[in-house]
Amino acid sequence: MTGATELDPIALEISWNGLKSIADECFLTIMRSAFSTNIKERHDHSTAIADADGRLIVQAERALPIHLASMSGLMRCILDSHGDSIAPGDIFIGNDPHVAGGTHLPDINLAMPVFDGDRLVGFVANIVHHADVGGAAVGSMSGGLDEIYKEGLRIPIVRLFRRGELVDDMMHLLLLNMRLPDERKGDLNAQIAAAKLGCRRLEDFLQAHGRDYLLAVFDEIVARTNRRMRIAIQTLPDGQYSFSDVMDDDGLGTKDILINLHIVKQDDRIAFDFDGSEAQVPGNFNLTLNATQSAVCFALKALLDPDVPNNQGIFDAIEINAPVGSVVNCVAPAAVALRANTCQRIVDIVIGALAEALPQQVTGAANGANTSAVFAGIDPATGQQYVYLETLGGGMGGRATKDGKDGVQVNITNTSNLPVEAIEMEYPLRVEEYALVEDSGGAGQHRGGMGIRRSIRPIGHDCEFNGVGERFRNQPWGIHGGEPGSTGRFMIRHDDGGVMPLPPKATGVRLMRDSVAVIETPGAGGYGPPDLRSDEAVAQDRKSGKFSNAYLNQHYSISTGSRKSGS
Amino acid sequence: MADWIIGVDVGGTFTDFSARNVVTGEAQIHKRPSTPDDPSRAIVEGLNELKQKTGIVGSEIARLAHGTTVATNALLQRRGGKVAVATTKGFRDLLEIGRQVRPKIYDLQADAPPPLAARSDRLEVDERIGARGEVISALEDDSLDELVCELRTLEDIDSVAICLLFSFLNPEHEQKLVKAIGKARPDLFVSASSDVQPEFREYERFSTTLINAFLQPEVGRYMSRLKSNIAEAAPEARLGIFQSSGGLMSADRASAFPVRTALSGPAAGAVGAAAAGALSSIGSIITLDMGGTSTDVCLIRDGKTEIANVREIAGFRIRLPMVDIHTVGAGGGSIAHIGTDGLMKVGPESAGAVPGPACYGRGGNEPTVSDANVVLGRLPTTLADGGLLLDQGKAEDAVRKIAEPMGISVIKASLGIVGIVNSNMTRAIRAVSTERGHDPRAFTLMPFGGAGGLHVTDVAASLGVSRIIVPPTPGILCAEGLIVSDLQENFVVTCRTSLDGPLDAVEAAVQTLTEKSEDWVVAELDGDATVRKSVTLDMRYVGQNYELPVNIETGNGLGNLPERQVLKALFFAEHQRSYGHVDQDAPIEIINVRLKCECPLGQPMGLGSMPSGPFAAKGAQDVWFDEEAPVPTAIYERGDLPAGAVIEGPAIIAQFDTTTVIPPAATATVDAALNLAVEI
Repeated sequence: MTGATELDPIALEISWNGLKSIADECFLTIMRSAFSTNIKERHDHSTAIADADGRLIVQAERALPIHLASMSGLMRCILDSHGDSIAPGDIFIGNDPHVAGGTHLPDINLAMPVFDGDRLVGFVANIVHHADVGGAAVGSMSGGLDEIYKEGLRIPIVRLFRRGELVDDMMHLLLLNMRLPDERKGDLNAQIAAAKLGCRRLEDFLQAHGRDYLLAVFDEIVARTNRRMRIAIQTLPDGQYSFSDVMDDDGLGTKDILINLHIVKQDDRIAFDFDGSEAQVPGNFNLTLNATQSAVCFALKALLDPDVPNNQGIFDAIEINAPVGSVVNCVAPAAVALRANTCQRIVDIVIGALAEALPQQVTGAANGANTSAVFAGIDPATGQQYVYLETLGGGMGGRATKDGKDGVQVNITNTSNLPVEAIEMEYPLRVEEYALVEDSGGAGQHRGGMGIRRSIRPIGHDCEFNGVGERFRNQPWGIHGGEPGSTGRFMIRHDDGGVMPLPPKATGVRLMRDSVAVIETPGAGGYGPPDLRSDEAVAQDRKSGKFSNAYLNQHYSISTGSRKSGS
Repeated sequence: MADWIIGVDVGGTFTDFSARNVVTGEAQIHKRPSTPDDPSRAIVEGLNELKQKTGIVGSEIARLAHGTTVATNALLQRRGGKVAVATTKGFRDLLEIGRQVRPKIYDLQADAPPPLAARSDRLEVDERIGARGEVISALEDDSLDELVCELRTLEDIDSVAICLLFSFLNPEHEQKLVKAIGKARPDLFVSASSDVQPEFREYERFSTTLINAFLQPEVGRYMSRLKSNIAEAAPEARLGIFQSSGGLMSADRASAFPVRTALSGPAAGAVGAAAAGALSSIGSIITLDMGGTSTDVCLIRDGKTEIANVREIAGFRIRLPMVDIHTVGAGGGSIAHIGTDGLMKVGPESAGAVPGPACYGRGGNEPTVSDANVVLGRLPTTLADGGLLLDQGKAEDAVRKIAEPMGISVIKASLGIVGIVNSNMTRAIRAVSTERGHDPRAFTLMPFGGAGGLHVTDVAASLGVSRIIVPPTPGILCAEGLIVSDLQENFVVTCRTSLDGPLDAVEAAVQTLTEKSEDWVVAELDGDATVRKSVTLDMRYVGQNYELPVNIETGNGLGNLPERQVLKALFFAEHQRSYGHVDQDAPIEIINVRLKCECPLGQPMGLGSMPSGPFAAKGAQDVWFDEEAPVPTAIYERGDLPAGAVIEGPAIIAQFDTTTVIPPAATATVDAALNLAVEI
């Protein structure tokens, strides 16, 4: 085997294709065989291949950005804690953010080593967001929890399979600590099936090409990705860039949580320094360094080169410094379940910092949240417990050449909604409205996108509502002169007409049968001064009914008669 | 005597004709440039050319089966009607929000296309049906009147899409709207979601209905133009329009449900492949339909094309039974370039038909897959029939553009281009096979389209497939497929039912389907025909959110569903195959019952004239199979090869519009059905 000569730009492209196919096939295996709605409809999972040093080599095409660093963290932890005893047929499992490389407990990581004879050559890994991993509240994603112990079962890196044999004791321990154990078992089985399949496929690859070749391919993939990312970084003007923003609150009384960013860029090097950011908070919005890294990588990649492959080569091109014990690099026993909201804010902050450097690529602040709503109760028809979890999109920021998209998942999240008909067939709930929120997109030459309103009523029973929102007090800002979008809100509307506002982190709210929970997600900030918005675009805003006359008159100076009402 | 059946497949570049005499077995083919401004012109002109060329008389044509891209193009170019939507109060933005996802997670500039109906044209109706089909809020006459009034205020509306929640369980409100709008506005086309696809999951149902309404004006006009033109050229011919599901429907039905033709073209090729395979008793096939800009692959099991029930076309989601075709941007015109990571990429950019690959000599100068094949000697520079002359020098110049910066020879670069495009196609085949639980090694690869035969052996080798079968006329297999297609209709009823409880709802669904199918037989077949019926149950474990289609043998009748245990066993088998595991104890539910009705119209694919006697190579040229050295390779004319002919590789088999390459150490045998069987 003469790896060096065979690894020309053609052979490598073909082999890389082959490895991507493996990761994609594993991804589909999970999607198709998992039990929970969260995976099947919302695809909240990822798959990847790593090398023997734990470097991420290939991620599935549809893998999620937030899972990228988590897998890499898991690999490091496996090698640190079990490096000398890894054997063929082992499958490792872990989820803990503080000791197992995770970012929050519901994301359960699985990794299976791949061997060539007795030599470890790599891993196949996957992550599934499980709908419940125990803890104080149903869904393990509730706000208001102040330490990791309350958020669910903490799994260090342990073996779920030892040399091909299921460790029954471990499986029992896990399932006993989770609500809906049958569903968990179904999802874990999907993860196991995907890991075994990936392992088989990688062994086939080894058989066809040999170990030296595979290892050379791994090296080349990382090296080329790193080079590509550095070339992209080079296009940024050298200099220093700063930005800061605040999170609304942590659900436990800490308000306006500051995140501070200072970027130093020189040649093909870029460093992100979060010095000055708030200390970790009691509420569960803290980020482990992995999560911060995921968000920064997402933002930089999205701004500079969206098609650059996801692997270690990106991490290696970006330096991150975050004070230990801060909200962006927390330590045990910090609570972290709702870290996605904080990740979204970091993406906004990176974009804000690079506004002047990349005027064509940046956008107004997006809805900046991962607005979630959980309805739980006992179905009066069956007497069975149910849990319905949804994360809702909102506005996407205005862009240099066009408006932000309305009602869509932004930045690090891209999970589907659950069909109204599926919700109502599955749960004793009725969706009364699913709409865009009027006047929610920030004005601008290119306006921000609009938030979503979803109104849900429990039928024939009272249930519990848990909601987590961000940018419910601090509006998503506009950029280059664009105006901010509207904030989001939760409220309960009673049939007698009364409306009860809920806090942005609404925990354990009793929702009575004669009332409706109304969820409104934030809009997004506009791009460029509203004065530059074309008459046609304003007329369209009016005609579509997305904006009221009052709003349009207030935000856009009426320059000509052509902006009269269009409808 | 009306003895001729003609298949007409309209593609972007060519309109292909395949004619078969059902009495004599005589076969004729014809190919002419398409007329994209009005595709029916090429059909009529081509039909006349075919008549002149062959002596077929217009009145001898019994049936014309047509695969059309009118709907696909209208969608791609957003060239359709102006549509109003009538939907449940509170949900007018549902079509705009869709599934709230972005097409590319890392790309801040990429958006899903805006909905086909403007927000101001999406109207809400005060009504609500619940999850058991019960009326929660009745649709009052006042609301109907109000809607009709509102419709009048909208400008230039061509059609209305009616999209109400839970209409798949209770279509009453939608049908009321259909009547009211039809009465007040007979000038408008109307599509109701309970007619278009009465199936659960509102966004997909609404989106499919909206697309249907959008296409109705354009496709309706095309169908009436086509009908009147055909009435002149072939007065006795019955016109059948090919659906994406793999069967024909009448032109009137195509006008009412144009969304069903969105994938008409590629689906016909898959049906043609199944028919060609059947003649050689091969039922497990993976197709490789490689054209100029893309390659379509499809998996055929037991002689039947796999069916997908949802897919996106031009960024719009369609939920309908469609032949499950996977497309990759890899074709003969795909351009090779160096990516930002320094690796060679091929496609998805294509030189298309204009200017085409450099070797066409029509001004193209980018290195394409076809140029690489010319450089390697795999594509003879004169096509059979002395047709298009290919320019070897221009091909080499083009490939040199990419070879020199990489510091490699033109030959090595050409092998690289071919290797990469093959790896792209291999990924596409994995997507329809391994990723869905099928082992490709258990299948036979069937190449067709202009370029499939050039690449098939390499693709087969990388998949571990050892059998290849090349149909007699790979360049016009879509038109061949049209000839053998049956009249087909698909029905669906959603009836969520636990498999452990009473199955009344399923029995009722079967009853509904039976009635619907009987109505269809009356409407489309004058009530007089042999109809093949097959039932599929969409089943899942309780809690899962994807259904597995499970084919049920019900003899040929309906109403007598198999025993519960049999249904369970069938579900387990399908779950095991698709996902690799089953849970014997978990509760199972049935979500949908589907009924496919097929009425056989055609004859089995005939054989046409059979060549006989000795055959010999028409020439020879040097072909590069690896970097070391070229191999002298004989060139044969496909039309000369009789059944039983055996050709040892290396060889090139050339014909009208296709070339098949047999590498060294492979053997090709012409079988009794004139299919070319290649063992590698």
